[in-house]
Amino acid sequence: MNPHVITAKSTLDKKSKINNTLLERHQRNGNYFWRIISLLAVFFILGIIGFVMKLNSGFNDKVIWGYYAAMFAFILTTAQAAPMVAIAPRLAKAHWRRPISRTAEIWSIVGLFNLILFIPILWVLPSLEDRRRSLWFWDAAPGFESVPVFSPHIWTTLALCSLVFIGIMLLWLSALPDLALIRDKGTGWQQKVAKKLSKNWIGTSKQWHWLYHRLGILGALYFAMMVFVHFLISIDFLLVLVPGWIDALLPITHAANALQAGVATMMLTMFCLRKFGGYKDYIGYDQVWGLGKLLFALSLLWFWFWFSSFNVFWYGKKPNELSVIDLLTTGPYLIIFIGVFLLNFVFPLFMMIWNPIRRSFWGPPLIAVGVIIGTFLDRIRLYVAAYSVPGIGDPNVSKHALPTHSLPTHLPEISDVFIMLGYISGSILVFMLATKIIPVINIWEQREVVMYEIHKKFHRTEVKILGKPD
Amino acid sequence: MQEHIQLNQKEINDISLSPILETPKWWLPAVLITFGFIVTGLAAFFYMVYHGLGVTGLNRPVFWGFFIVNFVFWIGISHAGIMISAILRLTQAEWRRPITRAAEVLTVFSLMAALHTPLFHVGRPWRTYWVFPYDFSRGVWPNVRSPFVWDPSAVGTYLIASTLFVIICLLPDLAIIRDRTTGLRSKIYGILCLGWRGTPRQWKMQTIVGILLSALVLPVFVSVHSIVSWDFAVIAGVEGWHSTIFAPYFIIGAIHSGVSAVATFMVVMMWVWKGNDKILRPDHLDAIGRLLIIVATTWFLFLFLEVAFALFTLERPEIALRELQFFKWPFSGLFILFLLTSYFIPVPMWMFKNVRRSLPLMFISTILVNVGMWLERFLIIVPSLSRKTPFAFDWGSYTPSIVEILIVTETFAFVIFGLLLFSKFFPLIPLFDIKEGMVFRDEIKIGRRTVPASIRE
Amino acid sequence: MKRSIIGLFLDENLAADALDDLRKAGYEMDEYEVLTGLPYPEGTFGEDEPKHKLYRWPLFGAVCGFIMGFMITAGTQVAYPLVTGGKPVLGVPPMAIIMYEGTMLGAIIFTIIGVVFESRLPRIFMGAYDTRITEGYIGVTVTTSEDKIEEAEKILKNIGAEDIKRGWE
Repeated sequence: MNPHVITAKSTLDKKSKINNTLLERHQRNGNYFWRIISLLAVFFILGIIGFVMKLNSGFNDKVIWGYYAAMFAFILTTAQAAPMVAIAPRLAKAHWRRPISRTAEIWSIVGLFNLILFIPILWVLPSLEDRRRSLWFWDAAPGFESVPVFSPHIWTTLALCSLVFIGIMLLWLSALPDLALIRDKGTGWQQKVAKKLSKNWIGTSKQWHWLYHRLGILGALYFAMMVFVHFLISIDFLLVLVPGWIDALLPITHAANALQAGVATMMLTMFCLRKFGGYKDYIGYDQVWGLGKLLFALSLLWFWFWFSSFNVFWYGKKPNELSVIDLLTTGPYLIIFIGVFLLNFVFPLFMMIWNPIRRSFWGPPLIAVGVIIGTFLDRIRLYVAAYSVPGIGDPNVSKHALPTHSLPTHLPEISDVFIMLGYISGSILVFMLATKIIPVINIWEQREVVMYEIHKKFHRTEVKILGKPD
Repeated sequence: MQEHIQLNQKEINDISLSPILETPKWWLPAVLITFGFIVTGLAAFFYMVYHGLGVTGLNRPVFWGFFIVNFVFWIGISHAGIMISAILRLTQAEWRRPITRAAEVLTVFSLMAALHTPLFHVGRPWRTYWVFPYDFSRGVWPNVRSPFVWDPSAVGTYLIASTLFVIICLLPDLAIIRDRTTGLRSKIYGILCLGWRGTPRQWKMQTIVGILLSALVLPVFVSVHSIVSWDFAVIAGVEGWHSTIFAPYFIIGAIHSGVSAVATFMVVMMWVWKGNDKILRPDHLDAIGRLLIIVATTWFLFLFLEVAFALFTLERPEIALRELQFFKWPFSGLFILFLLTSYFIPVPMWMFKNVRRSLPLMFISTILVNVGMWLERFLIIVPSLSRKTPFAFDWGSYTPSIVEILIVTETFAFVIFGLLLFSKFFPLIPLFDIKEGMVFRDEIKIGRRTVPASIRE
Repeated sequence: MKRSIIGLFLDENLAADALDDLRKAGYEMDEYEVLTGLPYPEGTFGEDEPKHKLYRWPLFGAVCGFIMGFMITAGTQVAYPLVTGGKPVLGVPPMAIIMYEGTMLGAIIFTIIGVVFESRLPRIFMGAYDTRITEGYIGVTVTTSEDKIEEAEKILKNIGAEDIKRGWE
């Protein structure tokens, strides 16, 4: 067996081509770029108007903040989960991730946006002094008297801040070599920014070693922190609001849904970049296939987690369990739930086992759109329903059961619609602006793969050889 | 850097078929000893049938004891095979190649062992067919709303699926044995391999079936332990069982104990099988050790959630149960032992590369995990039942009787016996998979560094 | 009665050459085959890609299994409507579980049957075969009428087969 000898010279052409085309594409404005930005900005301003309208009603009545909380959770489960698409395959050394890993990391910038918008939700949640059942066990057992009454607020904020910080650090680190490239070869204001951001990256082997190491650690930390944030949010800002809702699986379900929606977000982003962003040569079938498999597996996981919870409730038939099922799947919520069930599980399942759709460029992104809509509806179903339960903050209300079986459904007001519109467009706006500073396709990882992916003749057939450095 | 020894097809045949073509000295004594345990266990079972379930330690309200603990334990172990072989096949992990078959065979035998104890536990095993819809004349049908009818459907499906999986992947290897033997043996293997010749069509089917069946068996594997967990979780009356997290918690626990069992099995294979060290390398143990760290930590997260939510209910009976589980002797001692053996001793050990590559240390640590996981099932089942529940008016405790201990020992002997017999007649290493790996292996040289590579179609 | 012949090669390229020559000499696609001891990447010997319909098997099996599961659950419960535990006679969650197992069982059993069928197994007559194939040799077999067998042997010999054997189909 003769090893394939790779030298700098043999790959120079390919590498410099990657550099030049991607750099050129990064610095050029797409045809519609600023038009889309302005449109998103208009929507975002609408969102601000909606928010101001909401402020008039104050923070005391949490019922009206349900949709706002749902939007927060939606962005947490989509944009802030998208970086996992870069992290997990990178740890598994899968080469197909390379063209999309940067895109995934740029989504972590949206976390900053989401963090700022998290502040009102903190205001809405009362302190633990209302003696609600919570994971912090304030005054519930001896030894827990001195737990801060604002524990949920403090810990969730800290965790969310760390998540955002880790995400941005991850993005910055992975962008370092590319920023250095822009510093050296770019022009205009982007070069100036890159000069500031790229620090003293010159690509010594020490620096590369450091970069790889840090990327691994930060990736693992991001995942751990993401699970932790979902754990806190799903309990303190969802489960606890409904007396009698005891679902030990919910934190994991919340995080798994986030992974599913994160993959869907990436699938859609990747499709847009290929179709409208001019990266047709870089984003290909491998990426659709890699993400499609993940999306399929996570859709099955969605069903399994949902059924695990539902089956235990349905069989248990305790009064509090029946009332939780009632709360989340009756009235308009039933229609929403059926939609979620179809979009997050049934469509992905049946479309992905059908080869013509699975092997097309439009099929998996279409499923992804469904999953994103499904997740959106699911967040509304869970959060609006939970926020509409009265009684939290009232020490006289039972901790163990819902006050009544059927609660009025809270339909969106005009301000809610504005907020939803503004929240989503704001997130996309932040993402798109960030792509102006940091190349949306990872240039150095593209250059790197030139060394590890070889096409060669194997007797009478062509094969691809993938190298996996340890 | 992965070490690798390039072998040609003949060398692979010679190494992998050596236990089949020449019997090692210890084989027969080992078979006889395990068979002795099986006979003793069966004798205990017949004694139990004659005298009734009263000879066990089961009582009111502890209706479920060693038998059910053991059932859940072996179902857990059986999740190893499919976990290793299906997930690693689907993710195209190269290091899976030498261990898939062993893992799948372990699945089959541990599933059979798992079926023993509930069968014995029902007291009148000859009426087990009642769970099947057979009574056309009287029109009495099983109650499908009972989780105990889901169990046979799930475990049965899993057993059939994994057995077929093993058999279909054995075909090319049986053809190799056919070609290496003569006379009657050759004829029998010839029939067993269905006249395999190795045409491109046959190989293509073989390649597809590995992936396709993995994808089909994986959801079954998830359903099996979920359903076993629902035997407990759907009961609202027993504290400590009625938790939504049970299905994923049982699955991840099963993977934890199952993958550990595969590692134990690998170590044993490496010890007793001379020449095998060219195929099964410390590398593989290293990879499995790293996988185990992730699995164990995820499992620990689920354990934490389970306990946290039990306390979160702030319901007195639930909290009293946890007090019993964690702080009252003898459960407290078992609980500490369980925590240490299933997580706090092995996981820090696996953090070190030297441990992951050392046969004795991996052997000890993975055995410890399974001691811990057996205790986990015990601690879930017995303390919960010992307390008075809404539907039982007694408090009680549980001590296993000698009959139960003998029958539990029988299941362990059965699995070892099965593996010994299998290894005598069929290759435990998938030969064609190894050969494929050798041909598909390539290298890329960049400067002074050689990067391992492999062919992907 | 057809005659078959096998030529053994140690080099993949020679086997591929043999296939080329056989094709040139006018042998049909179903007359020659290459036998190997391991799954080579598709098209290594320039052989034709085997067509198959394996993916239909599990689908068909799944449908059968689903129907079976439905009959076992819904059918039996309607036939013997006993309310237990306050659950409806046709409760969806328990039915879903058994129907799911039935579906998967059907799919898996039919996949196996499909694989055996699509591999064209079981094969009762081995034709020309050599035990060295499972040791690393590559066999090129030609199964054809008696009059064409001589020519096939000549082709295999010319390419440089290590050994040539004859057999009956």
